[in-house]
Amino acid sequence: MKNAVDPFTVEVIRHALTAAAEEMSFVIMRSARSPLLREAGDLSSAITDHAGNLIAQGRDIPIHLGVMSFTVKKFLERVPEQRLKPGDVWFLNLPEVGGNHLPDVKAIRPVFVDGRLVAFGVSLAHWGDIGGAFAGSYFAGATETWQEGVRIPPVRLFTAEGCDREKLDFLLANIRGPAEREGDILAQVASTRAAEIRIHRLAGEHGWPTIRAALDRMDDLSEAQMREAIAGLPDGVYEGEDFLDDDGPGGQPAAIRVRIEIAGEHASFDFSKTDDAVSGPLNTTPFVAMAAVYYAIKAIAGPEIQPNSGCYRPLAIATRPGSILDPGIDRPVVGGNHETSQRCVDAIVRALEPAVPERLTAGGSTTAGLLIFGGRRRDGAIGTFYETHGGGEGARAERDGVPVVRVHLTNTMNTPVEVVEAEYFVRVDEQRLRVGSGGAGRHRGGDGMVRSYLVLRDGMALTTMFERRVIPPYGLQGGEAGAPFRVTLHQRDGGSRLLGGKENLRLQAGDRVVMETSGGGGYGAPV
Amino acid sequence: MDRWQVGIDIGGTFTDVVALLPPSGETRAAKVPTRRGDPVASILEALAAVGLAAAQVADLVHGTTLVTNAIVEDRVEPVALIATAGFEDVLDIGRAARLHLYRLDLPPKLAAQVPPQRRIGVVERLDHSGAVVTPLDAASLAAAVARLKTLGVESVAVSLLHAYANSDHERRIGAAVKEAVPFVSLSHEVNPETREFERTASTVLNASVMPIAARYLTLLGRSVPGRTRLHVMHSSGGMASPEAAADRPLVMALSGPAAGVTAAAHVARELGLARVLSFDMGGTTTDVCLIAGGKAEISTEARLAGRPVRQPMVAVESIGAGGGSLVKLGTGGLTIGPDSAGAEPGPAAYGRGGTLPTVTDANAVLGYLNLERKLGGAISLDVAAAKASLQPLAQRLGLGVIELALGVQRVANATMVRALSRVTVERGVDGRQCSLLAFGGMGPMHAVGLAREFGMSEIVVPRFSSGFSALGCIVADMSYTQQQTVRMLSAAWDAERFQSLHDGMLDALIAPFRRQGHQAETVTVERTALVRYVGQSYAVEVPFALPLDIGALGAAFRTRHHAVYGYATDEPWEMQSLRLSARIARTAHLKPIETQQTTQPITQPKPNSLSRCWFDRTGPRDTPRFDRDTLAAGARIAGPAIIEDSWSTVVVPPGTAATVDHFGHLFLREASPK
Repeated sequence: MKNAVDPFTVEVIRHALTAAAEEMSFVIMRSARSPLLREAGDLSSAITDHAGNLIAQGRDIPIHLGVMSFTVKKFLERVPEQRLKPGDVWFLNLPEVGGNHLPDVKAIRPVFVDGRLVAFGVSLAHWGDIGGAFAGSYFAGATETWQEGVRIPPVRLFTAEGCDREKLDFLLANIRGPAEREGDILAQVASTRAAEIRIHRLAGEHGWPTIRAALDRMDDLSEAQMREAIAGLPDGVYEGEDFLDDDGPGGQPAAIRVRIEIAGEHASFDFSKTDDAVSGPLNTTPFVAMAAVYYAIKAIAGPEIQPNSGCYRPLAIATRPGSILDPGIDRPVVGGNHETSQRCVDAIVRALEPAVPERLTAGGSTTAGLLIFGGRRRDGAIGTFYETHGGGEGARAERDGVPVVRVHLTNTMNTPVEVVEAEYFVRVDEQRLRVGSGGAGRHRGGDGMVRSYLVLRDGMALTTMFERRVIPPYGLQGGEAGAPFRVTLHQRDGGSRLLGGKENLRLQAGDRVVMETSGGGGYGAPV
Repeated sequence: MDRWQVGIDIGGTFTDVVALLPPSGETRAAKVPTRRGDPVASILEALAAVGLAAAQVADLVHGTTLVTNAIVEDRVEPVALIATAGFEDVLDIGRAARLHLYRLDLPPKLAAQVPPQRRIGVVERLDHSGAVVTPLDAASLAAAVARLKTLGVESVAVSLLHAYANSDHERRIGAAVKEAVPFVSLSHEVNPETREFERTASTVLNASVMPIAARYLTLLGRSVPGRTRLHVMHSSGGMASPEAAADRPLVMALSGPAAGVTAAAHVARELGLARVLSFDMGGTTTDVCLIAGGKAEISTEARLAGRPVRQPMVAVESIGAGGGSLVKLGTGGLTIGPDSAGAEPGPAAYGRGGTLPTVTDANAVLGYLNLERKLGGAISLDVAAAKASLQPLAQRLGLGVIELALGVQRVANATMVRALSRVTVERGVDGRQCSLLAFGGMGPMHAVGLAREFGMSEIVVPRFSSGFSALGCIVADMSYTQQQTVRMLSAAWDAERFQSLHDGMLDALIAPFRRQGHQAETVTVERTALVRYVGQSYAVEVPFALPLDIGALGAAFRTRHHAVYGYATDEPWEMQSLRLSARIARTAHLKPIETQQTTQPITQPKPNSLSRCWFDRTGPRDTPRFDRDTLAAGARIAGPAIIEDSWSTVVVPPGTAATVDHFGHLFLREASPK
């Protein structure tokens, strides 16, 4: 045979590696403590090769998966291979080391076969708290990264001998809910251990050289398919923009701009004309912008292409230092991970509207729609209840949008009302569709929802982090915009006010927080 | 007159029957085509095929795809939903996650099963402990009943927030709506577990199949004589009375696969196999299940046609790969399924106009299928068509058709290994230590290859392997299983509350036995605690006995947690849910097959014919074909060989040997250790 490895062996190895990544997610989701891991599934798993190239991923969160294709590469720039040993598990969260924001902590385990480094198991998990100025670690008023929580450079928390207790205690001493966090850390370690066991077994069956050859072949095939997919888009230069509601609490809208050039089998995405870095926590890292492009091109041009490092070779992506998407390491970024990233996708969709409208979905709730309640849980522990809120999906050329669903770069689940009430001093006194919130059009956008929280204890902390409050989800091809987000605080004493998209405040028992999520944009002029 | 125990499994294409006469252990088995849309006729024809009249049958147990198909084909009945006021849209909201990460064209979630005009809110509210926050409002209930009458539905689901912790409001609503509609499903009866979307969706699904199940069970009851006791197979691997099944038809959602798994568990007990993976490969899907200590693992998280079916059921992992699965060139390599050639036209080898290559076509090209025989007496094989279907792919890959077919085998096995590894990993079991029990139309053909790929060394192809689900119907115990959220903390254990929850659950569970005149003492109860660390969401299963020893339960939990997740700590834990299973055992003894005298040398069985089969790239091997029915106990056949009956083919590759035990089971093992 011409190739070193036959197509059947390639498929056998692909199955085994994907199963290993899925097992990693199973282990962490089932055994973790943070509600946003165990109920929402705000976690992702990946396996990379010795150089940090992605070779397998779970069915997880697209933004994480994109970012993780940079994490190990950047990690290796800081920690040379010679320092890695079997049994190590390194933790890190620095945004500039192939990261996104401080709460997403990555556990990295090097995997050795016959004394040679061959792969890494990487478990990314969103911790319920990473320290900083406010419970839940979304400090709305942050103007620099150090206010946002503990910055963890690559730290070896576990070795073959077990846990490095002093380092772990140092870390836990700086975050809220240390017991819950320790449970999450153990779950992440167990998750990377599962990857190691599977890789060892696979290497024992096939030998690493065969696996390496299979990986190269998969990369080449994905690259070929991506080239074909890009060639299926009409050549041209397309420009698009979308806006963040504000550049921080009470600020002005800020633009994300993209210039896309499709030329044969190549595509370039230039975000240079994006606005300058903002003062508040909506900046993000170039890795997040690249993850957004990876997602968008795959969804629009080649959804079935196996994602690996080969898949993205035909892409060129540029961000401008000093802009929102490349702000420098001192800037706060916590909200940018799930807000600004989604705006990158929106800008790409708007740019491509003249080229391939039939492949696009009108604007949806491209925001986490986040509320974080902090305080004592019913079991007495300090805890944060971190809830993302989905809205209506945008409509498409062939169908209406569906109600209440997570779109594009995120795919977290909600926390059931019955679980919320059993664990926190909060009662949900209403949860229903926000009827009529979807935008009109030949096809209608999906409806958003209303969820009302009644606070049962004094002194609870609340953080808001959401977008699409000012700039609503757009329609396409003449469809109308969906209704924007609206969060209202009804105070116990009778007063009420609309909350901003980035606020930290204290609540009293009897206060009611009503979340109304956006409807999706319509598609085509209404008939 | 001695009367027969009969098991009948009505599948999509064929109906299987196995009959047993208890005193002698005599068995009969047959297969007849399923009468689509007329299950009663299928049952009567199956009885006739084994030469029995209905009056000769003592117990008739049947597995049915009635409920499964109604759900999968979306032929369920319209229902109304009564929910806590303010929460009527729970089905639209769901869990908000989307089904496909990158496919924007596909709808990201299913439409709610109950449209807005049939959702009715009732003013009431409980908290998570079951305490009443807002009493059930009489006026709002009266209005709900009045509105229900205007909707023209036969069936209603009632699902209130936190009803798993306090059933009072649901009971009162249930009593009030009985005057308006004949069928009522209450969420605390269908699925008394927390998480409102999954509970409501399951309750609505139950309500929507209730009228269908009731009509069918009534018709069936009328068609068999009064002396024949009727039972149906339910999803957790036991049989239920028609009355119990009519109240909660959702228990039949996995009736078919559960019957096969039940038979596998029976064989595992009979052979004393500690850990077994059941492997049921059919035309479009493959079902696998872990059986530990002779018991099938149970799960409560399953989806059918994308809808949650939260019921205790055998933990079957289903994967979209079967004989009819299409072979394609995908990313990286060759892929199998989940698209399938379906029943029509089916694989190219079936000669009914199929042109796309399938797993069965690869098997035909390799010579495993018998060209002399008609499959099921009806389908004759067309190897040329099979070859032609594989040719274009082989050309693209620069391979010969045989090489491609051998590759298809490997990839099909790797695809099915995913299912095997999932069911073992999720239970903390090393799958390589399990025995593989292969049945179904295709299972015995792929068993050795699959076992080699997964690293298993023992394979059993049981007697009745091609009508195995019908056997499961005969050997199933009469049983009921329920799981309920209890939320009991180890740090503040309330033994009295636990006892009262336990007793209440047990009482409801054995009610159907009482109604049939059984004494409570004859019922065996199995108890499983679902335990987690405080702050986790998912629990691990820990069996326990009464009186409950909290210390021992905690220790057993930590051991299980370590086995499944690789670590454990000494933190406090919580009993999230309690699962009880009540059963009355049936004893089914099958007569052994004819055994050769041990004093005489075992005669080598004679092959029927010889064919050329490919097992690797070195060239075809002359392979003898044996008729399975003629093999006596003690017979040993060295590979390469094919052992077949009218319905299935056991492939015994070179280096493997098959032996027959006195129950008629085939054991396949490596001929000599590598």
